[in-house]
Amino acid sequence: MTAADGLHAGRRVTPFSIESVDPARIKTVAAILQDPTPMHLDPAANRARGMGGALSTQGALNMTWFVETAVRFAGGVDRLVSFKVRFLANVFAGERFECTGTITAIDGDAARAELELVATADGRPVLGGTAVIKTG
Amino acid sequence: MPDYAELVGRRFPAGTYTLPEYVCWLWLDAAQLPPAYEAHPGLAHVVATYGMGVSVQEIVAMMGATVEDGVAFGEFGVEYHESLRAGATYECDAEVLEVERKRGRRSGIFDRLSFRVTIRERGSEAPVAVCTNAWIFPRGGR
Repeated sequence: MTAADGLHAGRRVTPFSIESVDPARIKTVAAILQDPTPMHLDPAANRARGMGGALSTQGALNMTWFVETAVRFAGGVDRLVSFKVRFLANVFAGERFECTGTITAIDGDAARAELELVATADGRPVLGGTAVIKTG
Repeated sequence: MPDYAELVGRRFPAGTYTLPEYVCWLWLDAAQLPPAYEAHPGLAHVVATYGMGVSVQEIVAMMGATVEDGVAFGEFGVEYHESLRAGATYECDAEVLEVERKRGRRSGIFDRLSFRVTIRERGSEAPVAVCTNAWIFPRGGR
């Protein structure tokens, strides 16, 4: 049994959350991606831009959590068909990230379900988009 | 201000990237996720970034910007044909799809660069994943 059993349009996608985004992990992602963007590495850079003193996550990290929401709901990585995410706002270290959504369509012939997902950081909208998962 | 429209259709130099097992583990750790998968689907971004043959800095420079200019992701999407595998070597090719100049009420003038990266396992014609990216380049002004 997976969380995706008993699917129907309108069903809520099981929420996924990170209780507190860890600043050290943001630096790890910067190293993996070889991304020198100061907002991921230097709190002073964000202060100078009027964005507070916390590091900002990479879009790739936010996207991974977005995808994780769909993967967990679908019941495994091999059940994810596609996704598309829009980056609406930054996520900062120390914030609570949550992603959830609803099933918007079921294609019984193709054994697919489309999810509309939204994510927040401390309640602020930060991501929006869709994912398609296998149902069969 | 140049509009960079001449970049549409430009192909990036094709490259390869071997997805190391330790990066698969480290990505999950960095994302504060348990080590539950061989290769998280989000790693398609890493494979595309390293495999497309140009660096983030080179794309930013191609658009006449620097990393200090507040360049940001606008959208990212992936169509999966197979799951990624730790240790696999991937060949990537990429091309610019669109460059649009827009004006936001709060953000001022910005350029939106869209490009697609197709990921294939080495020696295979069939794509493993197709990634579509849109990056935002603030240009200042209102």
